[in-house]
Amino acid sequence: MDSQMMTGNLAAAWGARLADVDYIPAFPITPQTEIVEALAKWCERGDLAARFVSMDSEHSMMTAAGAAEVAGARVFTATSSQGLLHAFEVLYSISGWRAPLVLVNVSRALAAPITLESDHNDVLAARDAGFLQIHAETCQEVLDSILMAYRIAEDERVMLPVIVNLDGFTLSFTREPVSLPDPDMVRRFLPPFRPSHLGFTASSPQALGVAVIGGTSYAYFRHQVHLAARNALEVHREAAESFHALFGRRYDLVEGYRLEDADDVLVMTNAGASKGKAAVDAARAQGQRVGLLRLRVVRPWPAEAIRQALRGRRGVAVLDQNLAPGQGGILYQEVAACLYHEVLRPQALCSFIGGLGGQNISAGEFQAIFEQTAEAGVAGTGLGPVLLYSAEEHREMTQLQMLAGGNA
Amino acid sequence: MYAVRFHGRGGQGAKTASRILGTAAFLSGYVAQDSPIYGAERRGAPVAAFTRFGREPIRERGVIAYPDLVVVADASLLEDPAARVSDGITDQTILFVNSPLHAEQIRTQSKLPGRIMTLGVTEIALQHFGQREAISALLGAVAARLAGLQQEPLRQAIARELGDLGVAPPIIERNQTVALMCYESVQVMARESAAEPATRATIFHTPVYESPCRGTARISASGNSVLRETGGWRTFRPVLVADKCNGCWLCFVYCPDGVIAMNQDDRPVVDYAHCKGCQICVHECPTHALVAEREQEGGVAWTAK
Repeated sequence: MDSQMMTGNLAAAWGARLADVDYIPAFPITPQTEIVEALAKWCERGDLAARFVSMDSEHSMMTAAGAAEVAGARVFTATSSQGLLHAFEVLYSISGWRAPLVLVNVSRALAAPITLESDHNDVLAARDAGFLQIHAETCQEVLDSILMAYRIAEDERVMLPVIVNLDGFTLSFTREPVSLPDPDMVRRFLPPFRPSHLGFTASSPQALGVAVIGGTSYAYFRHQVHLAARNALEVHREAAESFHALFGRRYDLVEGYRLEDADDVLVMTNAGASKGKAAVDAARAQGQRVGLLRLRVVRPWPAEAIRQALRGRRGVAVLDQNLAPGQGGILYQEVAACLYHEVLRPQALCSFIGGLGGQNISAGEFQAIFEQTAEAGVAGTGLGPVLLYSAEEHREMTQLQMLAGGNA
Repeated sequence: MYAVRFHGRGGQGAKTASRILGTAAFLSGYVAQDSPIYGAERRGAPVAAFTRFGREPIRERGVIAYPDLVVVADASLLEDPAARVSDGITDQTILFVNSPLHAEQIRTQSKLPGRIMTLGVTEIALQHFGQREAISALLGAVAARLAGLQQEPLRQAIARELGDLGVAPPIIERNQTVALMCYESVQVMARESAAEPATRATIFHTPVYESPCRGTARISASGNSVLRETGGWRTFRPVLVADKCNGCWLCFVYCPDGVIAMNQDDRPVVDYAHCKGCQICVHECPTHALVAEREQEGGVAWTAK
């Protein structure tokens, strides 16, 4: 297998290329644009036999993507942040059409105020849209997850679209070694898309996603989306085993890092989890028994895997790189909900909010999280949401406020 | 793990230099990672890039707080607090500055710790390529030398990275030749294991929040860009040759930053505290009345007040 230095964006483009997609509707947005630029170049050169179309907005882009998918094409597209939100109503239509396409979202914090760097309020806003969600930690995982996403989405027990998420800048513009899977082996893992139930012919016209007034039939179809999403837990397991057998890399719903004898566990997602792992190593070197649980698949929610990993721990900290104003961390709520009926639930469940808009989380902040979580675990009382901010950041902020005339 | 932080200005190739080092390390058999950070600013704004390499999987991401080596592509960045060149530099850190000045002069001017060394890379680029921007391969070579990498993976890395940018093969070859000259002219410095300060738990801080009435990012100081002097971004300054000027106002029209004013005689007056040195006026002037002059003294064009 050939390994090369590659950004998360280029790895995403390679995922689409190796999945041999048929149709790519595109619209640029920082920090995603490199993905569609690479695909445009490959389509132009004939490296990828797909139709590439530049659209007039993300709303049109997602509409075209869903329509092409139900016409029987394997579809790939990508967006970020405001672009995802601009496409928002179409997301629900696509899952309702049961169009199993793959959308890459490159996380970028939402306006206002405007920024370019990452947090997860964009992708988590789409958590109830009927898309499955895989959140990647490394550039390699971005590529591999796209291949797995098509296999899971197109499975007859699922037939739902998938979002593969990666962090803007932290992963999108970061290069690290990525091993390119062999195309023949990819075809064994992911056969060509030949859905017997999809496709459009002029001689047998159909209407999809039609109006259904009165709740009876609406509820029937929405329940079906929920149950299909639950099926994806098992389908993911099968895909992960097959992927491991062919390529030697294993991806489960959640990933445990140094959990074996851990008293306290930090829960994270996406590329920030790499830094969390480094912090675990540092804390372990100081004699603290800590570990990390990374949530990789966020939809369907891997409740049982989370319970198994957190059962019997002293303290658990959920570090949300998102903020639901008036509530707190989004993933904290979901972790708490799935632990409610657990007899051996952790002594304390703590909530930390950090990394908003690409805000750096320093080694010292991780250390503070571990210390506060251990104390909360001993005391048996939860904590938070704690909004991570340092005195140094406040000094910088005060300086900017002065320049902007805000303190006048 | 070896951690290298590059500081440059948009357009100077700090990101490409960081990639050349990353690829050279990767081709040498290391696990490598490189990443740039920049905002929505344009050419001339401070940017940074980070390259890490080592034998073990790299778990750190983003900003390098405690670098083994810092490469500064433009000496004017030493004067700009927003560039944060001094972050995490200790007596053990190797600090390379692109400047024709001696290391001791840089040390006196900047008052920075670290083992400082200099080379006039921009002068070398001007001499060999006639372009001040063409320094990415040269900086990559200097970094590779100081980080202890060999010449051959460096040569390949330059070919790969400049090739990816669409640089023509003959120009890539010249870059390799000049880069290896730079590689040779930099003295190797043994790595002194920088004692990373022991991590202490941060004490979280609750800022003083303003009233909800002032709860959005707002600029109420009108014309406050005057306070952010950007004259230090220049390597070249536009200078008027008065007798060639025909008073057509084109420079005034084209200046993207509005730093050219016209006087009573229809002659341009440049605000050097804010001119970023993009040279668009020089390019557009139909009578060649505006010429680009190299900034002197190590390229520090303007020290922000």
